[in-house]
This record gives sequence, C-alpha cells and structure tokens, in this order.
Amino acid sequence: MEFKLDENYNHEFTVTLDVYQQFQLCSNDRNPLHTNVDFAKSKGFTDKVMYGNILNAFLSFFVGECLPIKNVIIHSQEIAFRNPVYLNEKLEFEAKVSGIFEAVNTIEFKYKFTKPDGKIAAKGLIQIGLLQ
Amino acid sequence: MQREIIIKELNEIFEDIIDEGTVFLIETSTSKDVDGWDSLTNIQLVVAVEKKYNIKFTSEEIISWKNVGEMIDCILTK
Repeated sequence: MEFKLDENYNHEFTVTLDVYQQFQLCSNDRNPLHTNVDFAKSKGFTDKVMYGNILNAFLSFFVGECLPIKNVIIHSQEIAFRNPVYLNEKLEFEAKVSGIFEAVNTIEFKYKFTKPDGKIAAKGLIQIGLLQ
Repeated sequence: MQREIIIKELNEIFEDIIDEGTVFLIETSTSKDVDGWDSLTNIQLVVAVEKKYNIKFTSEEIISWKNVGEMIDCILTK
C-alpha cells in the first residue's frame, strides 16, 4: 500500500487570469458574481468571486498528478465552500489520508484550501479507488 | 436481537449510499434484489460499513459474501 494513515500532501494553487478564463469558457457560466466587479461589490464581496468549481479542477490535479501513483480514479468528492476566492490569490492546499479501505482498494482524503489570510476557502472529502 | 439491529443499521446505510428510494433488506437479500447496488456502490457500502462499526474487512471476506446475512455474520466476528 502506497498510502499511510494521516500522511499529508501539500500543494500551492493560484486562480490566475488564465485559469479563470479557461474555466469560464469550459463552464459557460457568466453569472455577474463572477464577471462583474460592481455586481460582486454590491453583494458585499471585494471583487469578482472566482468560480468555486475551479477548486474542484484543482482537486482533479491533486488526484491525477500529485499522488505517488497514477493508477487512481475518483469515486466521490465533497466540497464545502467557506470563503470566496479572488483572482490571483495563492491557496495552500493540504490533503490528509483519513481512511484506508484495503479490502476495496479505496483511499479517503480530507482536504482544505487555505487563503493567504488564513481563512479556509473550501474543505471536504475525496474518495479514490486504486486501479488494479 | 443484535442481527435485527445490524440489519436496520445496514438498511439506513444502503438507503443513504444507493439513494434510489426505500431499501428493505432481509438476510437473504443480494445485489440482484436491490436497485442501484452495483460494483461501484458496493465499494461505497463497504467503506460506510467499515466506518460505522470501526472494523476492517478483507477482500476475501467481501468476495465470500453470498447475501446480506453473510455480511452480518462477518460483522459479528469483528
């Protein structure tokens, strides 16, 4: 087994302009919260709010590229958004192995994205399968 | 009595994981009797059962189960 309980994985992600634009193109979501500064400010945010689901794309990178093995598949993932993410904010990503289920070749991670001010941007759980 | 409690708890787990309406498990229930109980949901079910009872199964045990009753037998040996 390549994974150990409580083992940590860390990575830094940034929602760059390129990431933001590519995600907009991919999702075709042009809701003013994400595209109009004045609208976002009128709702109490300091700038356009980055798409929360960009973080799900970062989770895809984590599972597909950051783990020590490549024969993995996502079974499920849960995410809870806690604070808005703005353009070019650096997010510290931390994932911890929270469960190992060897009988069904499944690993579970608890993860969180932390903003530069220390607030949690999002947190959740991912369950992956190890392909045989 | 203990088996009745476990089957009731398994029923709740199955309904939560499979999420395709009411599940009514009996000891002889198999995957053919429960809509949505497929190979992928089976993984989720095993994970949920291990968490619920804080136990670990082996792959050999899982493969050997012929029905829900045998799953309960296995839970009771842990």
